[in-house]
This record gives sequence, structure tokens and C-alpha cells, in this order.
Amino acid sequence: MINPQDLCTRARDLLASGEVRAVVGYRRGSRGMAAEPVVITKPEEAASLVWDPSCVHNLALYLVADRKRLAHLHQTPGKPIAIVAKGCDARALVVLMQENYFKREEVYILGVSCESTGVWDDQKLMQRLGCDSQSLTGGRFDGDDFVVTTATGEQRISAPECMADRCLECRHPFPTMNNVVLGEEKARTLAAPFAALSRFEEATGTQPARWAFWQRQFERCIRCFACRSVCPMCYCEECIVDSITFTVALDTTAAEKANRVRWIQRSATRSENIGYHMTRALHLAGRCIDCGECERVCPVHIPLRLLNNKLEKESREKFGYEPGVSIEIASLVSSFRDDDPNDFIR
Amino acid sequence: MERMLAKEQIGDWIRTLRGWEVFGPVLQDGVWSYQPADTVQLDHPNTAQPPKGFAFPQREVFFTFEQIKGEPPRLTPVAPKGGQQVVFGVRPCDARGLPRMDRVFTETFDDVYYRTRRGSLAYVGLACNQPPSPHCFCKSVGGSPVSTEGLDVLMTDLGDRYLVAAVTATGEKLMQAAGDLLTEPTGVDRSEAGRLRLAAITHPQRAVNDVASVPPRLKKGFDSSLWEDLARPCISCGICTFLCPTCHCFDINDETNGSTPLKGSRVRTWDSCQFPDFTMHSSGHNPRETLGSRLRQRVCHKFQYFHENFGMFQCVGCGRCVAGCPVGIDIIAVVNQVAASAGEG
Repeated sequence: MINPQDLCTRARDLLASGEVRAVVGYRRGSRGMAAEPVVITKPEEAASLVWDPSCVHNLALYLVADRKRLAHLHQTPGKPIAIVAKGCDARALVVLMQENYFKREEVYILGVSCESTGVWDDQKLMQRLGCDSQSLTGGRFDGDDFVVTTATGEQRISAPECMADRCLECRHPFPTMNNVVLGEEKARTLAAPFAALSRFEEATGTQPARWAFWQRQFERCIRCFACRSVCPMCYCEECIVDSITFTVALDTTAAEKANRVRWIQRSATRSENIGYHMTRALHLAGRCIDCGECERVCPVHIPLRLLNNKLEKESREKFGYEPGVSIEIASLVSSFRDDDPNDFIR
Repeated sequence: MERMLAKEQIGDWIRTLRGWEVFGPVLQDGVWSYQPADTVQLDHPNTAQPPKGFAFPQREVFFTFEQIKGEPPRLTPVAPKGGQQVVFGVRPCDARGLPRMDRVFTETFDDVYYRTRRGSLAYVGLACNQPPSPHCFCKSVGGSPVSTEGLDVLMTDLGDRYLVAAVTATGEKLMQAAGDLLTEPTGVDRSEAGRLRLAAITHPQRAVNDVASVPPRLKKGFDSSLWEDLARPCISCGICTFLCPTCHCFDINDETNGSTPLKGSRVRTWDSCQFPDFTMHSSGHNPRETLGSRLRQRVCHKFQYFHENFGMFQCVGCGRCVAGCPVGIDIIAVVNQVAASAGEG
């Protein structure tokens, strides 16, 4: 089991020795005991770092943001940046490195193993406890359980009851790629791979029923773009849904600006929403490592994991490919193999 | 006008509202939203989105256009339908959003689309006997769990019955339609309602500290380094603004849906000050390029600029932006921290 104090000590030492220029981790926020992402640069700030089951965010996103910021300022990264990474976060880093977004030596991975559990799902937990997030004052890992503190005192909950679906289905809770790792690698099977997807496919049955389901889901999308903004893989400088990225030069005419191609309109209508979500899902095929952040943040609860899981399953079944496993192998969409399980390509 | 309504008769009341399109909170796919309803069961928490869209929909078509080669373009104005709509179960904080939107769209500028929709809209509110969210802070920003501002009718849940109180003339009309369904409250009803209201307004809430001092302090703190610090985890999504009962920024685009002949429509859609392309100039320059400058825009608009312009906070304390932020940016904590630091020295 991880002693969160060890994490603070590691982070402090890394900053004090000057080995890294910053540490991306979690700290306590102002909403109950829920953790929030933080970037620290001074050794004395390391004491504020936490590690508990509310550390749900995929922090790889902040390395992407850091890289973009530096590029914008025409600065070189210099020393590496350290990141607290769970198994899923580390897999995201693998994909980013496969795609040459960073070099391995530019990132110091402070791995944290989820061991036999994972992070919790806030909604499941609140439902289980029958209280609200503000009344939850403490929470920690303890073996196969979560121990939580509310107004009525401390209680022990069997973790799988309140774990996020993605954690239940996780096959790599240990960050294999790391510079240092806290916690052990533990074998476990809590739910079958793609369990939620299988349940959904069984429940909806036919293709028309499935289509009706998705139309209803996309109908209510408000296009806040939180799913895209929270995704470490959605790092494109040019996103088809934005108007920001139309290249403007001194000689760009007003007509060119007005007539820029808009693949997807800003209106949050069903057709435009479907265009947006399908494009995003396809752009994540063979890249999504199922951190489930898109689904977690959606304010109108669109089950986006199902879309990404479907493509992940396809990439596994058709190409024998699992994203985020190793930086030694080429990414799915940039590789060709003689032993490709498909015959259409030969 | 105060009357009593048995809970099981709310559908009967709704059926008397001829000529009104009735909406109520509905839970579908795990999401509470206002949907057309024959009857309503008012046991909802905060709906995912406030009812703002009834007066200010996310998509508003201004006109359609068509151009046949060699001919002048033809424009066809599109007006909102303007049919009467009544929304049941509106929370007092969300209702307070409406008069704030009015300031923007009917006072300083007469927006015909907003005015038309707003003019035929009525809110039947539900007092919050219990706070529907742990992040409620309506009392900090001049509201209350029993506020009537922006409502036409306020209902108070007394267990098996509602105390129904008219706030506006429209509200009285809605109640008159109910006829005998509504009965005179007894002394017991009134004292029970009084007791619940007192309990509601004394229920502890999170708070913005010394809110009267906030506008000048934020003004003083404009250049504070806290903005960038506090915004550092921000992912630039639009959750906080799109779930807000008072955010009203918009974008206007021409959406074409055919090229021979060229045709399409001019459309207003919600925009968000948290998007990186918000206020981006045609030249490529963006005056709000950083996360901190965009967080400052959102917070100061609600707690300083709007207050300077209209003498009221633009935030109604519903807590949706706090609960919904993917990374824990908390407007209460932001205001408190920036205001406190500006108060020092």
C-alpha cells in the first residue's frame, strides 16, 4: 500500500535537487475532500500533494498543455517535468511518446500503482453513502477497500462497489513505464474487459435500437467540448470544430476569413453533434487508453466510453493491438505488419 | 394570492392551462432537464442545465438566405414562435437569472428574439426546503431558497400538498385557471409553510465572504498573479458557462446548407469566455489569450463588471459551475481568495 507521505518526499527531493522543473500531481481542493490537479515548482509545496481514491484526473493532459505553452513562447523545455501517473495516465504518456509528442527523457514518471483497486466514481460513492460531496471529509485506500470519513464517522467500503467502471475493467493498474513507482503490481480481475460495452450491446440488441440510443445521447450534447478538452490525446492545434485555428496571415482577405471551411457548425444540433463525436471517436481509434475522463466530465452524462471502447475492441480484435503498452512498438495507425491478422491488406 | 394544492392534483392544474405549453423537470438517461410534461413530480435536484434556454436558446436562427446566381440575395427573417410557455419546478436561484438576462437583452439593447420568448414565458418555482446541491450559495449573492425574484408563482412543498403563491399578474392568471383545485390555506398550512421557509433560509450554505466588498476588491485585484495560479488546472471547456443561469455570450455564424443555389441561415449560438478562441480577433490577436485572463473575465463579469453596470451580482449562486468543473475550479474559493489578497495592504 502506498504511503502518500512517500509521494511528497519523492516530489520534494526531485524539486530540491533540481532534477525536474515542476511536478504535476494532486492536492486537496475546496470541494469536500476531492483532489484537484496541481503543478508545483518549489520543494516546500510538495507537502500539499495527496494520493487517495479521489485522484481521478488524467494528469498527462497537463504535460500536453505545458508543451503547447512552451511552444507558444518559443521556449525549449529544459529539464524534465515530473508527473504523478496511475496505470492509465502512464499509458496515455506511452501513446504520446509513440507519437513523438514528448521524448521519454523529457518526462519523469512518478508512478503510483492502483494495486488491487482504482479511483472511485463520485456519483456511485455519493449514492452508496447517501451524502453529498461536501460532507465527505476523508478518503483513503486500504487494501481492497476504501475508507471514507463523513459526518457519522469513518466507514469501510468494498472498493468495487464504488469504483469507476473504467477502473473495474482496467487491465493495467500498474504504471509499467516509470522512473520510480510507489505501490506494488497486483494481479486482479474485477470485471471482464469491455464489460460495460458488452452490457450496452446486449441491452440495445439491434443496430436500429443502438442508433436510436445514440441519437438520443447526442441530441442533448451542449458542445461544451469538455470531452475534447480533458483528453490528453486531443492535442491537435487545429480542431475541426474551432474557428480559432483558421490560419490568418497579413494577406488573408475578409472573404477568405468569412468563407473558411467549417466542417462542423457551432450549432448544438443532432447532426452537428454526431459529426463532432464520431470524428473524435475515430481520431482516438488505437490511441484511446480508456482513462474514461471524457465520460467522467460530461455534464449531460453521455456515455462516451462506450464509443471509445468499441473502437478499442475493434483495434484489438482486428489488429491485435492494445494502445499504451510500450513505446517500443509503433502506433496502430502508423504501422504495417506482415503478420497482420487481417487478409484484406495483402 | 396564496392557495393550497394537493400534490396528486398538480396534473389536473396543468391540464387547466389551455394555450400554455407546459414543461417540468424530467429524469432521462441520468440527466435532469426540463421537458414538455402533462404532469410533474417535483422531487428534482438542480436540473443539469438551468431553464435559461427558454428565453435564450443555445441556437437562434435570425434569418435564412438564398442566392441564385445573377440575382440579388434573398433574406427571409425568422421570428421565434412566441407561443406561451410555462416551466414548473424552477429553483429560486435559476429564476433570478431571468431578470439579469433582461438587463442585457431588453434594457441596454432591445433583442427582439429574447424579448419575444421572454414575453411569453412564465416560471412556476419551487422553494428549496433542502439545498438541492452541496454547492448552493444563493444567500451570498442576494438570493434565498425562497426568493420570488424572476418567478410568476412560488410553490412550497408541505409534504402532501403545496402552498402556491402568486408573484406576478401572470402567476395569478395561471392560478385562476385552476379554479376549485386551489383551496384557501388554513392557519396550519400557513404556519407549516412559515416553519419550512425559516428552516430553508437558516440552512447553512457555503459563502462568499463579505460580498459587498467584493466588486472593489476584484477591481483592485485585476493584475493579481492569483488569476493565473488559480486557472492553471483549467482545461478551457465550456461547462461553467454553458451550465450558468446568467452567462449570455454568443457567437453569430452563417451556416450554409447548400451551394447551388447558395443557401443557409444566420445563426446565434452560445459562446463561452473559457474557450481559447473567445474574443479572438480577426487579425489572430487574442486579448484574452491566457487561462488566467479568461477565468478573470468570467469571475469579474459576475462579481464586478455586472455589479458596476447594473448594481447587482450576475451570479445567482446555483453552484453548477462549482459542481461541474472537471478540475475543481470553484468560483466561491476564487472570489474569496482574490478578494482577500486585494484586501491586504
